Amino acid sequence: MLPRYSNSNRLSDLACALTLLVLLTVGAPDASAGVSGPVVRLFPTTVLEDIRETGQVAEEMENNLQEVINKLDMQQQLYTESLCQGADGDQGCERIAKQLGSTYLEMLDIMSDRLPDMERAVNNTRSSLEKRLRQELGQRTTPTTLQNALLGETASVKAEDRPALRGRSGVRLSDRFKQYYNLVSTNREGASKSLAVVASDIYLDMDEAAHLIAATQEEIGRAALMEQLNQSFGTITPEMAAVVGGVKEILFGESMTESPIAAPPYAIGEADFVSPLAM
Amino acid sequence: MIRILTSVLVVLSLAACTTTQPDHCAVNLRGNLDSAMTTAESKLASGCEYHFNSYFNSLLTIAEANPDKDNKMLFSDHLMRVNEMGVISRRQAEGLYNRYFNVKFVSLQGDYNTCSQTCPVRTQVMSDMKAELHDKELGLMRASADAASFYRADTLLKETDLVLEATCRACTAGQVQ
Repeated sequence: MLPRYSNSNRLSDLACALTLLVLLTVGAPDASAGVSGPVVRLFPTTVLEDIRETGQVAEEMENNLQEVINKLDMQQQLYTESLCQGADGDQGCERIAKQLGSTYLEMLDIMSDRLPDMERAVNNTRSSLEKRLRQELGQRTTPTTLQNALLGETASVKAEDRPALRGRSGVRLSDRFKQYYNLVSTNREGASKSLAVVASDIYLDMDEAAHLIAATQEEIGRAALMEQLNQSFGTITPEMAAVVGGVKEILFGESMTESPIAAPPYAIGEADFVSPLAM
Repeated sequence: MIRILTSVLVVLSLAACTTTQPDHCAVNLRGNLDSAMTTAESKLASGCEYHFNSYFNSLLTIAEANPDKDNKMLFSDHLMRVNEMGVISRRQAEGLYNRYFNVKFVSLQGDYNTCSQTCPVRTQVMSDMKAELHDKELGLMRASADAASFYRADTLLKETDLVLEATCRACTAGQVQ
């Protein structure tokens, strides 16, 4: 469902959209971890290529945004330390505010430049995963075998090996990539991963991200126009501060409230009772 | 005086005549689970087949009061014996055992593909699985002291929810194209 916009809170809505967009898309790259599906082939080379490309685009976006966010952070600090809040008519403060607004526009420009690439990459990944999910889990799997696959695949996954899936927030992007890298390394050593869960998670994220990208692209033009108007008055709006804060959180991972889907796994030992009635 | 005594005797005699035979199937299962199962099985073998469900629930209550890892094995053996007695079918025995004592969900089964069988009734399937998880809590966690298996079933339910959401969305998208 797309967010609704009003004139009064369009920038804060944009901040939410951007935040969600980046959060939703950063999870993509290393799902390539699940290459070794024993039965269900959810990650063939084409899907992996799409995912890798999405990851690269997300990483480029991170790098570009990080630079401009650092700049915004410094300007915001200067503005605060100069006690500019409420200091109407002070020429120095107005100059800082205009610089801050200019940097903010720069950030919107970067987003505007990068979003089409991100949109294409996300849509490619979504489409290829959608096809694989439909074929492999929808048409070539029965509910019984799906259940067996989920149980079989999750049995040997350690909680610390599993990246936080849906619902993640505030995790530094580079750390996210490290998590995925570690996961790939683990898989190379033989441990399996719940590919069906990962594929489903990425697909649903991509689906939401695609909607958010479209909504964000629409909003950027209006947000930029509003800030251009603000430039005439040299003010820092609360919405601008919210955007900067939100993107900072994404880049630097200041809050980390992950809620993993799966609880610690449990491996059935040889001594456990297995009933002849068991499925 | 004699009349009064006679009347009392007559009333008592009539009351004795109207007293019904105690229900021989009604039994208060208690104590040791193993012996309670033996009692239930002897009752089932002597014309009380229709009381199977109440006996089974009573046995679960006893197990809940005396949690033990071996309880699931006792229930498995009990259900197999009751099946061999012809009280319940093999499918019923499997259904009951798996519903209460297995990580897997009997609510998520089928021989047709997921797109056609599960997706059209996904909400109902998930609802049934949630209800089944309550029974697994009783069978695995409270009766068998097997928290790890119960948590695994809980995880399976959550993962199934996620995977079905994605798969069914993909199935629907395929139909639209």
